[in-house]
Amino acid sequence: MTQSSPPALELRGITKKFGSVVANDRVDFDVIPGEVHALLGENGAGKSTLMSVLYGLYKPDDGEILVDGQVVEISSPSAAIALGIGMVHQHFMLVRVMTVAENIVLGQEPSRRGVLDLKAARARVRELSSRYGLAVDPDARIEDITVGAEQRVEILKALYRNARILVLDEPTAVLTAQEVKELTGVLNRLKQDGAAIVFISHKLGEVLEVADRITVLRRGKKVDTVPREGATELSLARLVVGRDVLLAVDKAPAKPAGPLLEVRDLHVRDDRGLEKVSGLSLSVRAGEIVALAGVDGNGQQELVDSIAGMRAPESGAVEIDGVDIAGKGVRVATDAGVAHIAEDRHVRGLVLPFTLAENLALREYRSPELSGRGWLRLGHMRERAEKLLAEFDVRGGGADAYAASLSGGNQQKVAVAREIASNPKVLIAHQPTRGLDVGAIEFVHRRLVGERDAGRAVLLVSLEYEEVRALADRILVIYEGKIVGEFPPDASEEELGIAMTGGKTQPTEAPL
Amino acid sequence: MSLLEEELKAEGEESAAAVVRSPATLTAFRRGLSGITVPILTAVLAFIAGGLVVLATGHNPLSTYSSIFNGTGLNWLFPWVSGAERSTAAGNLQQTLLNATPLILVGIAVSFAFRAGMFNIGGQGQYTVGLIVAVWVGSSFSGMPSVLHIVFAILAAALAGGAWAGIAGLLKATTGANEVISTIMLNWIAIWLGVYVFQLGGPLHNHAQATVPVSNSVVSGAKLPVFWGSASLQGLDVGIFISLALAVVYGLLINRTRLGYESRTVGFNPEAARYSGMNVGRTWIRVMVICGAFAGVAAALDVLGWKFSLFTNDIQTSQIGFYGIAVALLGRNTASGNIAAGVLFGALLTGTSNRNINLSIDPTLVEYLTFMIEGIIILLVSTDVITLRLLKGGRQVRVALGRRRSAEAGPSPGGAS
Amino acid sequence: MSVGTIALAPGRGVTARQVGIAAAVLGALAWVITIPPIEVRSVAPSVVLAAVAVLAGAWAVAGGERKLGIEAIAVAVLAVAGSVASANSSIATLESVFTWSALVAATLRYMTPLLFAALGGVISESSGVINVGLEGMMLMGCFWGIYGADLLHSWVWGVLAAMVAGGLLALVHAVFSIHLRANQIVSGMGLNFVALGITGYFLEYHYGPNGTPLNISMIPNVTLPGIRHVAFFGTAFSGANLMTWVGLALVPALTFFLFRTRGGLRLRSVGEKPRAADTVGLSVMRIRYVAVVVSGMLAALGGAYLSVGFVGSFSNNMTNGRGFIALAAMIFGKWKPWGALWATLLFGLGNALSDRVSSVNPTLGTLFEALPYVFTLVAVAGLVGRSRAPAEDGIPYVRE
Repeated sequence: MTQSSPPALELRGITKKFGSVVANDRVDFDVIPGEVHALLGENGAGKSTLMSVLYGLYKPDDGEILVDGQVVEISSPSAAIALGIGMVHQHFMLVRVMTVAENIVLGQEPSRRGVLDLKAARARVRELSSRYGLAVDPDARIEDITVGAEQRVEILKALYRNARILVLDEPTAVLTAQEVKELTGVLNRLKQDGAAIVFISHKLGEVLEVADRITVLRRGKKVDTVPREGATELSLARLVVGRDVLLAVDKAPAKPAGPLLEVRDLHVRDDRGLEKVSGLSLSVRAGEIVALAGVDGNGQQELVDSIAGMRAPESGAVEIDGVDIAGKGVRVATDAGVAHIAEDRHVRGLVLPFTLAENLALREYRSPELSGRGWLRLGHMRERAEKLLAEFDVRGGGADAYAASLSGGNQQKVAVAREIASNPKVLIAHQPTRGLDVGAIEFVHRRLVGERDAGRAVLLVSLEYEEVRALADRILVIYEGKIVGEFPPDASEEELGIAMTGGKTQPTEAPL
Repeated sequence: MSLLEEELKAEGEESAAAVVRSPATLTAFRRGLSGITVPILTAVLAFIAGGLVVLATGHNPLSTYSSIFNGTGLNWLFPWVSGAERSTAAGNLQQTLLNATPLILVGIAVSFAFRAGMFNIGGQGQYTVGLIVAVWVGSSFSGMPSVLHIVFAILAAALAGGAWAGIAGLLKATTGANEVISTIMLNWIAIWLGVYVFQLGGPLHNHAQATVPVSNSVVSGAKLPVFWGSASLQGLDVGIFISLALAVVYGLLINRTRLGYESRTVGFNPEAARYSGMNVGRTWIRVMVICGAFAGVAAALDVLGWKFSLFTNDIQTSQIGFYGIAVALLGRNTASGNIAAGVLFGALLTGTSNRNINLSIDPTLVEYLTFMIEGIIILLVSTDVITLRLLKGGRQVRVALGRRRSAEAGPSPGGAS
Repeated sequence: MSVGTIALAPGRGVTARQVGIAAAVLGALAWVITIPPIEVRSVAPSVVLAAVAVLAGAWAVAGGERKLGIEAIAVAVLAVAGSVASANSSIATLESVFTWSALVAATLRYMTPLLFAALGGVISESSGVINVGLEGMMLMGCFWGIYGADLLHSWVWGVLAAMVAGGLLALVHAVFSIHLRANQIVSGMGLNFVALGITGYFLEYHYGPNGTPLNISMIPNVTLPGIRHVAFFGTAFSGANLMTWVGLALVPALTFFLFRTRGGLRLRSVGEKPRAADTVGLSVMRIRYVAVVVSGMLAALGGAYLSVGFVGSFSNNMTNGRGFIALAAMIFGKWKPWGALWATLLFGLGNALSDRVSSVNPTLGTLFEALPYVFTLVAVAGLVGRSRAPAEDGIPYVRE
């Protein structure tokens, strides 16, 4: 890290407008070889736009890009690749039906007279993966590998193209704590190799852990660039949001009453017929938040789906306040008092082309308030929507606005509002803050604690260690479809991490 | 799924990544315009393009179009048209509305499926089984009271069409069979079934006509009353009112009922529907059955209104299923849109039919010219990008051109060669 | 569920899947034994076989292979009906319908145009563009093939003219679906009308009411050396058209291209995930353009076979829905060349059979025309439900 060498990459005064919206406003940014430079900001702060400009996907309205001190014009991804820029996109750019090796070489395939040389491709992939410690099976199909492995493939794709400047767009959004650690190791190796790394994130903690320097964007403008030394979560949060924020959730001790959700010896298979939940039992009482922590893919999805009625278990019981609803479908579950904040608001939680009124009616459209004799009560739907939008502080449109037109945080508020409005006994919150910015996370967290205090049983399923610790009254760790341990909320990250990866632990008490 | 909806969906998905693009403005823009302006402009553009074809083949587009327009009978609406011209116009307008009657309904059969996320190419087959059943019921039971007989025939045809479409819905719901392929197959099965039953020696062949493959004729009690023009000259029957009433029913169904809400949810996002406790498969089946019923009624109105009997050739050459798709798309899957588009296509079919074209060129050539113009209309209906670009002015075009240039600037890939 | 082992013999022994397949084979056999060359003249053995098949099918259902088992039962039931029909027909009728060598020859004739168009569909849809315009592109090939062969007195020019015409129509489809982000199904549908108009118009314009001339230079038949002397194959394959052989050769060639070459990998990547292809520097648009135009040329070759290879003339709307059948065959064949071949063979066989049946009983022959479609419907319900289109098939690619 000598100051004399020119930055591997420098952006000067980049401005990008979409119509009247200025996504990037004279942004300066640079990264030198052997450094991780984090780009921090809330969703919509202009991080992804800036990187799309860098990668030739958008053409900037003003400003210049320098690579190794030379002004360059990047008009397409292939131009970026030729300049040694590699991008690991937030949404992976992988062809699901093709193999790892095919994905990595796509576009620059080793071939003889047009015929693919897959042997050479495999060899090259193996070489790269051993050199940087990025374990992948070159012949596995993308659809069969884990999310973490997909990300390794994305990084290998960039390395295969000899990228010296590596841009990682929200790389940890989909990773488990364990995988984040592995990623950090990989980044360190790349750094030692002289790569210049741009690390885009909205998570304060991991930025402090990974980055050498941190640049904060807010509303398209660069706020400041600070070295890691001396920066704290609080100082960064202030830069990101532009005001003081409360990082810890303020909550009184739980006063749990009788159990509202009882799961006993549940066995559930996934779509491929594999048993993902194997004899799981748990219980959540009224007035407490139980967090289900675990590495993604250990049966959380199948467990949540069977409690919510979306998937019929093979055997076992799911009781809501004493009523067995296992395998009886969503309507029975809803009627018994289950509400379910879905993991992905775009896949399940919302119908984007619907209005907010229509979206807010999804859970209870059959109730007498909203429809009768097959006819919808449109007036009631609107009134109810307006009330909920006000109560949940949804901004960006009224009852007649389309869900698609809202920002991610406000969309999530709509999804949360609908589920809470159904006045459930049991509230399942499956990754309720995924992809949200600090302000929205704060809101959702406060709301969940409020629902706990209102006497609901809250089951929080989360991959975020911080979130689990901040909200939970009890933490259950799920591993390979079973509860392998129960921990108090102040359990250390190490303790949880070991349990989540199947290691032997000393649970504080026997699992329920 | 309509283009608008697709775009909305795509925008929604993108909005997560780039909120700054403010999809709200785009959405509002498109919602506001899509109601009327875009379809009308699309049709106008199509006619201009069609005019160019006419010009390219060495004829005068203006005179061709004015004769087509007069052929539609829409000049009847002009108060200055009088005398013999007026009565010709009346006859043509009756014909236009007769054509529009089934088109509106078949368009709805396609639209409703679209709204539920399915592509019903099977309007043709559903219409065909409707024809078979309607002509069978209409030509039998000759003693029945007239109103009862008509209602019976219409309901039977609706049931037949519904059952036929229901097969595709059922297969999709239970086995995941792609409805595009199953409805295409059902079209052909229906057509061959129709040829089979009406051909010489077929079960529903009119035995009095030993050499003509034709069905029995609908008995007079089952014929729909003609209220405008002469019954003997194919005047306009009350079928048009039934068609319009059913369009209103469709509008209410899709916007105001639980089933409509469920269908739209399933259409936009089946996973969200499941999550909300809706039975996606059952919704698919219900929607398809209702679609088929609309197409079946269309067939019944044709049979009871003016066809009365069916030749095997009628069944093999009918293109109404495809026109229905065009009507649905031009009408943006709404009730009022289907009515307008149905009348437009009805007018086009009437205006360009041989007997109405009054040109100095070979009438057979005009027939094929008509196919071309219709094709161009459907082609332009398939995209609203051209229209939207015109409306939005230069900016959009510049962006698109810039995008294209930047795409071309990249080094040449091997492509598919 | 799909790999469930039968409950009675967990872990070892036969799987429910194997039982189901055996049941389907047995069921089919129940009918096959009643037709030439075996010609069992009694229904009894068929009923016994079918009963066993039904039992096995039920077992497969119990073992978790629900779809397969039900299908096997359906086959068995159909087979009993078929064997009753066979038993009630005279030997002479049976032998005139099931003259296998003639049936194979006719199957190949019916298959050829469908195969070309279906392969065209495979190419286009692999790149992510739905091509419902195959029908129109075939029709263009039909007419311009004849026109070229007539004008330049050689079928070679006819074939070339057909490819150019089909390619041009496909180019329009490409512009609409790729640049104008059209609804591809509707755009294809519009092109079918346009093609109907163009071919009809120029047929009238050039040839008038008399139609195309009679002495058209035709694509020759090719007899493989020596095959004439092999009893069954001699009759079945000796008269096959050059285009039939080309079509058959295209199947392995295309398979190799799609799955073993650089171009194929890129083509498929564009259909599965255009954004991935774009971000590694491939031009999604260009690849799609090439794929759509090639698909139009292939479909037009199928049309050229119909007119210049088989009939020797052009008549209005000559393809009569074959493009749609090809489309169905492509989907039925799971978007793969080999699948397309098997599916088009099935349609060819259905057509050939209904021809033979018509010669014995015209009324029944009409009903047989519907048979391939019924087969497809049943097969789509049973088999293809699990298949998958290219992930981004039919979705216009927009970078921003």
